[in-house]
Amino acid sequence: MQLLLYGVLLTFVVFAALAVAFLRDILSAIIAFAGFSFGVAIVYILLRAPDVALTEAAVGAGVTTVLFLLAIVRTVRPGGDRLFERVAWGPAIIATGLVGVLLTTVRSLPTIGDPNSPVASSEITRYYLENAYPQTDVENVVTAILAAYRGFDTLGEAAVVLAAGLAVLVVLRKEVYV
Amino acid sequence: MMDLLTTHYNYVASILLFGIGLYVVMGSPNLVKKIIGMNIFQVGIFLFFVTTGYVDGGAPPVVGHGEETFVSPLPHVLILTAIVVGVSLTAVALALVIRIYDGYGSLDEDVIKEVQVDD
Repeated sequence: MQLLLYGVLLTFVVFAALAVAFLRDILSAIIAFAGFSFGVAIVYILLRAPDVALTEAAVGAGVTTVLFLLAIVRTVRPGGDRLFERVAWGPAIIATGLVGVLLTTVRSLPTIGDPNSPVASSEITRYYLENAYPQTDVENVVTAILAAYRGFDTLGEAAVVLAAGLAVLVVLRKEVYV
Repeated sequence: MMDLLTTHYNYVASILLFGIGLYVVMGSPNLVKKIIGMNIFQVGIFLFFVTTGYVDGGAPPVVGHGEETFVSPLPHVLILTAIVVGVSLTAVALALVIRIYDGYGSLDEDVIKEVQVDD
């Protein structure tokens, strides 16, 4: 049952990504990308990662889509009668080569859901799960790590967002245009 | 090969997303679509990371409600940070694309190259 659900969702996600790749109209590609993000958010829920799913749905599907829409409002939306783009064979061969090489390595990864996999059984995972509540009084371990154990990481993330906001303002400032 | 689809399905999907993302970045002439391709590649990496933390029968990492096994919270934290950084990156890239459009009057890579040669 679980496997069937994964199958349907992952097929949807991959086909949405292919639609992004081959739809010629930018607006259609952006809509396909938003659907792709929501599909991935549901996969995160199946992987028991509700925090990541919420962020992906709100930020990945929401904010990113709005940014893309703002960008095509400020630029052009190339028209044309063809629905799909022509296949660019050079890049297609390189991408297929990458997929082929990486697929040969998949077998050496641990099975999905294996409780003895290096990540699930690592010392650090156990430490966080055992100590997050006694040490920080926060039940959600993800929040505890994000705000307490890796607080400086989150501070750095905030600095990145600030830098990006300033960069957008500097780049788009009208007076600088010559 | 087919048995990978029943045991490593998410890894296979994220590798396919790497391929599609790389194809869009390299093959699409439109600059906005290149940025969408970059986002697809990123999501492939996020899916890979979140999958590594999954444990069969594990509960979401919220302790104190009687569950015994939990999925690993660490990949979730790293990916939460990465998603926000990815959006910042997209915003800066789109701002640069808008400036390029103002300067060259096109978003098509080939047209921009021609304009550069003419200059």
